[in-house]
Amino acid sequence: MLAVATPEVLWWALLPVLFLSVGGLLLLTVASLVRRLPDWLPQAWTVVTGLAVLVACVPMWCEVRDEGPRTTLAGSVAVDGSTVLVTAVLAAVVVAVALLARPYLRREDLPGVEVYVLLMLSAAGGVVMASADDLIVLFLGLEILSIAVYVLAALHLRRIESQEGAMKYFVLGAFASAFLLYGMALVYGATGSTRLALVAEHLSATVLVDDSMLLAGIALLLVGLAFKVAAVPFHAWTPDVYQGSPTPVVAWMAAGVKAAGFAAMVRVLVTSLGTHASDWAPPVGVLAVASVLVGAVVAVLQTDVRRMLAYSSVAHAGFLLLGVQAADADGTAAVYAYLVVYALLATGSFAVLTVMGGDGDAAHHLDDYRGLARRRPVLAGAFTLLLLGQAGVPFTGGFVAKLGVLAAAVADRGYWVAGLAMLGAAAAAFVYLRILVSMYLEDPDAEAADGSTGPAVPLGARVVIGVACAGVLFVGLVPGPLLDLARDAVPVLVGS
Amino acid sequence: MLGQYLPVVVLLILAFLFAALSFVASRLLAPRRPHDRKAAPYECGIIPGRETPERFPVRFFLVAMIFIVFDIEIVFLYPWAVAHGGLGLFGLVAVLLFSLAVFESFVYLIGNGALEWGPVRRVRHAVSPARTSTSTIRRAGVREVGLEGRTIGDESGRAA
Repeated sequence: MLAVATPEVLWWALLPVLFLSVGGLLLLTVASLVRRLPDWLPQAWTVVTGLAVLVACVPMWCEVRDEGPRTTLAGSVAVDGSTVLVTAVLAAVVVAVALLARPYLRREDLPGVEVYVLLMLSAAGGVVMASADDLIVLFLGLEILSIAVYVLAALHLRRIESQEGAMKYFVLGAFASAFLLYGMALVYGATGSTRLALVAEHLSATVLVDDSMLLAGIALLLVGLAFKVAAVPFHAWTPDVYQGSPTPVVAWMAAGVKAAGFAAMVRVLVTSLGTHASDWAPPVGVLAVASVLVGAVVAVLQTDVRRMLAYSSVAHAGFLLLGVQAADADGTAAVYAYLVVYALLATGSFAVLTVMGGDGDAAHHLDDYRGLARRRPVLAGAFTLLLLGQAGVPFTGGFVAKLGVLAAAVADRGYWVAGLAMLGAAAAAFVYLRILVSMYLEDPDAEAADGSTGPAVPLGARVVIGVACAGVLFVGLVPGPLLDLARDAVPVLVGS
Repeated sequence: MLGQYLPVVVLLILAFLFAALSFVASRLLAPRRPHDRKAAPYECGIIPGRETPERFPVRFFLVAMIFIVFDIEIVFLYPWAVAHGGLGLFGLVAVLLFSLAVFESFVYLIGNGALEWGPVRRVRHAVSPARTSTSTIRRAGVREVGLEGRTIGDESGRAA
């Protein structure tokens, strides 16, 4: 019998995945065996795991910066700046969601371990996806990430919207996975490898006489990935899922899933299939503009704040695609900077929504925000900052992020794309203004006015909202460090 | 290259022809004497005495899930068993880790009472007190499901 060559393993590079998956499994085992776990333990365990991953990212970053990017596990996992940056973002979001989850679970009287376990497993999948240097590994990561999120979406057992959203997400998600897998098969058929480095090598070394199979493969890959990041016209699930799912989980969907999805998209399209950018960049540009315009315009029509933010997350996906379609290092760096800022904005905003939801997670109507500034000035102020950040107002991180992707698009001569996106940004600003007007200029409801001061803000939510606001302001005032970080994070393919 | 698919195409055509011819032959040859009992769905000669749709305990699904847990484990153990000589220690450790992770889900199921077939234990979180066996069923035209967080008939904010 032939001895199978076992691959080299860089264990330090796999630490984040190991921490997250082992952390999740251990917690699940302990919770299954021990009848009465202390209430605080699952949350504390998740926070510690997330922080451990964040800490592990520091030496990884230094190692990658000093020794250069590399690949491990027989070229299927990339260890470069992109891996480390996205891992850190995912870990930070895990910590934030864990902090939000416990008060939420207690308020809604929901069982308390599964959320944390699924969150950690989902994050492990996200890290795998972000560091995939092989299409098969990418698919594995995507499935680990998604399946956990489908369950998380259904976690509010007693709300029919939660079940409905999870079902829609699951059916459409499985459909999109099939597209992605078919696309991978066609790309493999056209290039003879699933490893991104070898795909790129093949495409730069040979001229395909008939590239229809490759183009079909790229198109299907694009469909699958665009679904994950909720780009128009593959966004149909977003509003229902965002509205139905438990709000802390929505924070993970918006910040975490999107970050992993874009990291994978950039790695596949820009780095691996960069030679064919002239084929895929125009469709991505169309997706970008459609996402920004549809997201902004439809958000205006909503009266449910969660649906508004869902459509605004579609618009954000459009801006991120704007950086992708530039198909160069500047565009990619802009995408990473945008991802970091968007992670801050989304977690912060959905933390506010978690607090505002009230019993039954139902008070998300625009009217529920009336006069919030008078009842809870600090909360309203923080939400204002986060919304202004989402709108891209100067001196907030959102401005830096939007400027980056627009500049990348313009530098790539995508004047039309950039112009239309700016138009969309102006329309989107109206959405955020509507919430602001509701909070500041309108009087609170009669029942809310008599003495009640609005919802209590738990400590965990305070920390998350505070850190998010501080981060958004810091990036807005001192953008240099983030931009340098993003430039160092541009993924690199390491050959064979 | 596409010639390899010829048998599949032939089989497809044959299958289609067989189905079509069967229908035609049955239409031509069979005597037709329809009456009520024969036309009923699930016709078996006996008129159903009560409504058939019935809820049965979720435990059956859990048993099915436990089966899947071990099914998946076996699916991956077979190829490993065939190739374990070549895979060596690396393969052994990998398969052990995999088994641990799979077995973990079994522990979770047992820990949550998947195999407790004793008297019914109420799960604290699963059902809101407002829900009864009549309110859980969706009747035609009436929304009575998941009453929490929504007043009946309130569809505002859901316009896409």
